[in-house]
Amino acid sequence: MEAGFAFLLVVGIPLLGAPLIYLIGRLVERRQPGLNPARWVALLALLAAFYPLGIALQTVLNQGMPVSFSLGVIRLQMDGVGALLAALALVLGALVTLFSGPYLSREDHQEKYYALLVAMIGGMIGLGCTTDLFNLWVWFELMAIASYPLVAFHRHAPAALEAGVKYLVQSAVGSAFVLIGIALVFGQTGTLTLASIRANAPLTPVMLAAGALFLIGFGVKAALVPLHTWLPDAHSQAPSGISAMLSGVVIEAGLIALLRALGAVFAVSDLWGVFLLGFAALNMLLGNLMALRQTQVKRMLAFSSLSHMGYIVLGIGCAFAFGAPNAAAGGFFHILTHGLMKGLAFLAAGALLYALYIANGQHQPLMVDDLDGAATRYPLAAFTLSVALLGLGGIPPLAGFMSKWQIFVGGFETRQTWAMALVIFAALNSVLSLGYYAPLINRMYRHQPSKRMESGQPVSGWMNVVLLILTLGVVGLGFYPTLASWLTQPAAQSLLAALGG
Amino acid sequence: MNLSVPNIVILIVIGLLGVGAYALLTVRNLIKVVVALQIMVKAAMLALVLAGRLQGQENLGQSLALTVIVADTIVAVVGLALAVEVRRVVGSLDLKALTTLRR
Repeated sequence: MEAGFAFLLVVGIPLLGAPLIYLIGRLVERRQPGLNPARWVALLALLAAFYPLGIALQTVLNQGMPVSFSLGVIRLQMDGVGALLAALALVLGALVTLFSGPYLSREDHQEKYYALLVAMIGGMIGLGCTTDLFNLWVWFELMAIASYPLVAFHRHAPAALEAGVKYLVQSAVGSAFVLIGIALVFGQTGTLTLASIRANAPLTPVMLAAGALFLIGFGVKAALVPLHTWLPDAHSQAPSGISAMLSGVVIEAGLIALLRALGAVFAVSDLWGVFLLGFAALNMLLGNLMALRQTQVKRMLAFSSLSHMGYIVLGIGCAFAFGAPNAAAGGFFHILTHGLMKGLAFLAAGALLYALYIANGQHQPLMVDDLDGAATRYPLAAFTLSVALLGLGGIPPLAGFMSKWQIFVGGFETRQTWAMALVIFAALNSVLSLGYYAPLINRMYRHQPSKRMESGQPVSGWMNVVLLILTLGVVGLGFYPTLASWLTQPAAQSLLAALGG
Repeated sequence: MNLSVPNIVILIVIGLLGVGAYALLTVRNLIKVVVALQIMVKAAMLALVLAGRLQGQENLGQSLALTVIVADTIVAVVGLALAVEVRRVVGSLDLKALTTLRR
């Protein structure tokens, strides 16, 4: 198969698959209720996209050439950044689809869940591969619109509706800001192609304002503190599979959209990197401090996503401010490992939530106290959750340590006082984060099982399979971090090339 | 500032943005929040058309605005669908009734 055609399939299969999944699910549901084929069609569609993705990756990563195709005037091009995002979105998406089957088995309208999930994945793949500022917005909206109903999927719960409303309003304001920024850029340069904007960006205050609007608009989706207030609600109220997707890929996709847009107006100001580093510091500090005082497991994990976004932005901000290639590669590596670790953490917490509450017909948040003695009753879920938490806290043989280490080394290589101070700050934050990860593990392994734990239902086999696969990924990337540099080095090179480095 | 057509349109864009942002901050009814969002996006749409006109690419600017209309309508539909569910489950469209989640 030719690489350009394979790339077309990678983008096309999820987009065409989404309505098909809904139709099949709906029609079969009408004839034979309870069969729920939507899940299997969704899984099939995502798995079918892996083969062309492999072919496209081969060209992009091994030969170092971007793959592209054009539909009319719209041109999509997969470079290192797009390849990383597409691979992460598809892998995590397929695992979440497999996990969600038993998790949602008691819910109505499952076909909508799977159709929207696949559409969201398609939007993210397109977002990573666009070459045009306006198309960037369109893909971004596709991803966002698909995720609004998913957050409010438990639509009989007031809390889920509240989270959905908050998420929708904040994201919609952000995307209006982005649109105004696009109008400013278009009015100044007369072009929307990212490369030609970069080439003829005039150094005017209007372009500066456009960059600031991008920073605010995409920053809402990337959950840069103080634009993060939707995140803890949305991530804790969504179904666990969606929490994993939102935390693992969607906020990172928002960050990549921000990098693309800021890259186009990079020459206008040398302050973008400083802004990003400032956001990084705020994210790390506020995420950790807020996570320390949470009593709900998923809400704590959501706040920890904020601090991990801080580490990622620290690595990439060093690339923006000082052109540090290793820090950028570290940032992309952390996108990858955080996707796996946070996906695993949310899914393992989801498995426990399912066993303790959902399988008993209750819809309540999983509290920290509920984890008492989980290891005796659910050894696998407790073990995988512990691996994910230790990885997130940066304990050495696991993936999270390797990616944080690469960011720290990359930050020190810049030889800038402020960057080094920030790296030390990040390392201290990493230690602080163990203050809320470690007690969870302590509870699971060293406390007596609670009453609720003893009345829990068994965890389904498919869930355990998914947890095991992700655990293997987290441990494997920890022992062999070079496996990922195949993906992260080209991504860093593409980013720096986009900045004119 | 002379009152040429572009300047008038720029003033309208800023005015619409101001109205939308002010409404978002003060209004408590969920339907009105969706309306306020729409007003903000309308300002952005007008800005896109104006940008196309200033650059002598009217067709491109207007087709961008058309795309925005489509995407924006879907956002409004999802927002209103959420409002219907909120009314059904919570029994009120007031945003004050939707403050169970703590920081």
